[in-house]
Amino acid sequence: MINIPPKPKASYLIKIGIPFAFIFSIFSFSRIGFNLSDFQENLSNRKIVTEPLFNPKWQWAWDNTYLALLETIQIAILASIVGCAIALPLSFYASRATNLNKYSYFIYKSFLNLIRTIPDLFWAMMFTVAVGIGPFAGVLALVMFSLAIMGKLLSETIDSIDPGPMEAAKATGASHNQTVFTSALPQVLPNFTAYFLYIFELCIRASVILGLVGAGGVGRIIETQRIFLRFDRISPIIVIILVVVIFIEQFSVWIRKKIL
Amino acid sequence: MNLPKQPLNHKIFRYTITSLIIVASIWSAAGLEITLDRLIDAPKQVGILIGAMFPLDMSTEAFNRIIPKVFESLFIAWAGTVIGSFFSFPISFLAANNVAKGIVSKATKQVLNIIRAFPELILAFIFLPITGLGPLTGTLAIGIHSIGTLGKLSSEVIEGIDEGPLEAIKSSGGSKLNELTFGIIPQVMPTITSYWLYRFEINLRASAVLGVVGAGGVGQELINQLRFRDFPRAGTVLICTIVLVLTADAISATIRNRIIKGKVTKS
Repeated sequence: MINIPPKPKASYLIKIGIPFAFIFSIFSFSRIGFNLSDFQENLSNRKIVTEPLFNPKWQWAWDNTYLALLETIQIAILASIVGCAIALPLSFYASRATNLNKYSYFIYKSFLNLIRTIPDLFWAMMFTVAVGIGPFAGVLALVMFSLAIMGKLLSETIDSIDPGPMEAAKATGASHNQTVFTSALPQVLPNFTAYFLYIFELCIRASVILGLVGAGGVGRIIETQRIFLRFDRISPIIVIILVVVIFIEQFSVWIRKKIL
Repeated sequence: MNLPKQPLNHKIFRYTITSLIIVASIWSAAGLEITLDRLIDAPKQVGILIGAMFPLDMSTEAFNRIIPKVFESLFIAWAGTVIGSFFSFPISFLAANNVAKGIVSKATKQVLNIIRAFPELILAFIFLPITGLGPLTGTLAIGIHSIGTLGKLSSEVIEGIDEGPLEAIKSSGGSKLNELTFGIIPQVMPTITSYWLYRFEINLRASAVLGVVGAGGVGQELINQLRFRDFPRAGTVLICTIVLVLTADAISATIRNRIIKGKVTKS
């Protein structure tokens, strides 16, 4: 007779979590107001969108977009550089490995967590109010955006560095700041470069939509055409943006591979 | 003969990168007409704005307006994630090159890439005339974008599985379907579930933003209050959003940790 071991019991997470997720899904869908008959009725209106969407006006789009597109790219470049430059010292303060003071560590860490919870477009809205409509607000919004992401990624990388070199530097009598500069910083610099390029890609993507709230870039042109429902003008703009974004991303991915 | 690659000259490399960064930022700043005094002035301006938000608008009327909107964002994010995971799950098997044939896998991957390239907001305002103003539009936009991202992540998980169990099933006479249900799915399910939760966290932020184009959620409320210069109430909207995102993140991160690392057994 073979002794078959008993099947392990399902954990509470599965027992409670799956029914809960299921019920919550049904509840969410009901709150969103999915109504099949309305949907079908609206679907008959789709010609408003689909017909112009597939009759793009290429010439118009190109003539009106390329300057704004350049602005978008400039916003992304400047914001990712400034944001990452600010994040570099901050993440050393927000890591347990390099910040010995427990309280200031906690404050820096919470600060980074807090700015990470606010979505990029919310920043853009606030900065358009604070510094006025235009690309400058977009730059500031993306600075916060890249600061938040870089702060999280880099501080976690610093948390997991090899403590050996730091110990060695300390053994030679270096002060804490010297230790961080000579042994912690060089360890994370390759990661920093890779993250920077990754954040640059994210910024390029994010900068496209900044214009929807008046923060500069190509989104501004999309927004004005969207209000007039000129989908024949929007669709070529979107295609141009996608091509540019994908091209820049591929370039950045290529550099990242070269560096690492 | 195998010649080793000549390493990049690090000094030259470093100087090129530094000068490239400086040139790029000067070029951008000049193009955007950003001067140093504007940059220095910005924190003060933001300080004024934040100062105008306090004291927050804590009236019941404000909360009666804001709380339903905040929860609407939550429902949009969850429903969008459900749509995304429901559709991306079968698609990810088609995209994985160890399950599907080479050509099918490549084609599916390209389709996913194209879906992923559209930001949620752009999808949302393309759907807007069809599905109307409201949370349904946001849900569809987030759902479709999630299909792209989740499909890519899940297919990569499936490609990275251990082939051993599959071989064992094959050798005991299992069919192709058995391989799928007993060999692949149990292996990939924990990671894929945690990706779903992770996507939910991202979608929550995205759904908060979607209101800007009128696709439901708390973004609409924020942009309205900022336009009417009702800063205390805008501050309340912001704080409510932050609280929601932080809570949802914390719960989701705990569950993800538990799924990936397994039960912590006391020893």
